Amino acid sequence: MNSLSHLEKKKKIRYMVTICIFLCLIFTTFLLSMDAGLIHLSPIDVLKVLVNHGTSQQELILFDFRLPRIVISLLVGSGLAVSGAILQGITRNSLADPGILGINVGAGLVVVLFISFFSSMQVVPVFALPFAALMGAVLTATLIYILTYKKGQGLSPMRMILIGIAVASGIEAALIVLTIHLDPRQLQFVTIWLAGSIWGTNWNFVLTLLPWILILMPLAFSKARVLNILNLYEDVSKGLGMAIEKERLILLGIAVGLAGSCVAVGGNMGFVGLIGPHLARKLVGPKHQFLLPASALSGSLLLIVADTLARLIVQPSEIPTGILVSIIGAPYFLYLLAKSKA
Amino acid sequence: MDCLHTAQLNIAYVDRLIVEDLNLCVPEGKITALVGANGSGKSTILKAIARIMKPKKGSVFLDGQSIYHQPSKEVAKLLSILPQNPTAPEGLTVGELVSYGRFPYQKGFGNLTQEDKKMIHWAVDVTGMLSFYDRPIDQLSGGQRQRAWIAMALAQGTNILCLDEPTTFLDMAHQLEVLKLLKKLNKEEHRTIIMVVHDLNHASKFAHNIVAIKEGRIVSEGDPQTVLTKGVLKKVFGIEADIISDPRTGVPLCLPYELVQEHDPVNIDSRMSYI
Repeated sequence: MNSLSHLEKKKKIRYMVTICIFLCLIFTTFLLSMDAGLIHLSPIDVLKVLVNHGTSQQELILFDFRLPRIVISLLVGSGLAVSGAILQGITRNSLADPGILGINVGAGLVVVLFISFFSSMQVVPVFALPFAALMGAVLTATLIYILTYKKGQGLSPMRMILIGIAVASGIEAALIVLTIHLDPRQLQFVTIWLAGSIWGTNWNFVLTLLPWILILMPLAFSKARVLNILNLYEDVSKGLGMAIEKERLILLGIAVGLAGSCVAVGGNMGFVGLIGPHLARKLVGPKHQFLLPASALSGSLLLIVADTLARLIVQPSEIPTGILVSIIGAPYFLYLLAKSKA
Repeated sequence: MDCLHTAQLNIAYVDRLIVEDLNLCVPEGKITALVGANGSGKSTILKAIARIMKPKKGSVFLDGQSIYHQPSKEVAKLLSILPQNPTAPEGLTVGELVSYGRFPYQKGFGNLTQEDKKMIHWAVDVTGMLSFYDRPIDQLSGGQRQRAWIAMALAQGTNILCLDEPTTFLDMAHQLEVLKLLKKLNKEEHRTIIMVVHDLNHASKFAHNIVAIKEGRIVSEGDPQTVLTKGVLKKVFGIEADIISDPRTGVPLCLPYELVQEHDPVNIDSRMSYI
């Protein structure tokens, strides 16, 4: 009995260390990220601004441009990664993520529709965009759910992924057709959105996103135990007395809410939802009490690193963060595939 | 005494009736083996008993109460099932898997209580998996893996244990290892065990009660001497066999030597149609 609790303790310590390392890395990148950009601020400048001794230009850059953007990267990264972890858990497939299931492009489609609808006006009401994106995500998820659901058999995870991929490519095609009708300025915005650029760089967007994260994230963590069981063989979950269909639907809802609200502010950010959980699983294992928090942090770290680099690499312009995540993520993912036994 | 029985059980895959009006009694504290040809419906019956499949008609009664009229989590405290060839997520350790067996007892965030920990430790210990506690399931041998799954079912703390072909894909030594473990659980912990097995001689050696099933109906039931006869084997499996007595224990053993010609012994087509 003692030896077992010793093993459990060792595991917990390992988890705590992983979490601490993540937090340290995030904090370091956070500090670096405040310096990085077209107008370079030295760490001393940043410190000065923080204690209210900077120039008004430095204050403007830090408080009105950089900080909200950094905060949004952190939130979007954690939201997408946790969404991915949930989807991978309920589908029992480690390739599932909001992108593959078409939730991202679904949000994109509604965004494009929204923009083309308002194209007669000079100014697009940008603050309504997050809600449009969220609506798109929910509609897509509902469509996939309806198509996957088979009476008597319920929701087959494999079917859900295949239908998700099919729906995603359909929506992508529709998107391309729609963008033809946009004027150049709108087209540019849509292109940037689809490439995954953190465009909502002010505090209002933080406030739009924050409630979703604050509500859905704890809800997801409270379902860790259920996710553990759903991640097992289906007949085993039933044998343990789990109401599979109900719990799956609730968790799907949480995942879609997280992904939809994040994509709304962060654009079509692929790969974070796939790689965040993968990285976390390598470090803390598949138990969701550990996996979900670790995923949230790895997603945050991934995105804040990508966003900082995106601002640095091709100055004075910048690369969409989503593209950078893919550039970092793709080789890592190939490495994972090459390393896995199966 | 019966602790579990089915009443007029009808089970169907979509519209294909697999089991019709089945009345099966499972004696308490005994090992019951369900035997039959492929596609005979024995696994289906086990799934219905463990409420993994909902029957079309009829019910399964546990201590006189229908399991379909009780909360699923409450049933999970009385009866556990180990499906055929289950898979665990990559990297999941034995300890974690076994702790999942406590799911029906947990609330909220799922912190393990002292009672949970005690049960997990006992389950890991009794299956001989203590030294593998921290090992990922995917790095274990077939026999160890099966023992880990049995430990999970045991951690559920149920009196009744259902197992669907617990020895498939195992070599002879590992088959014996798993069956001996089940026998021990029955003898020392008084668990009622219901298992689907393919090997009739295993059924004969390890089960107190054998139920021979053909096309969803019971052909013969009772102790090994009653069920393992030339006539029953011919009817259920379509084979001619000699029955001899085990020189060591005296239980009947069967030695098949010929297929019965007019009978289609392995009705593969009927099974394929509902896979």
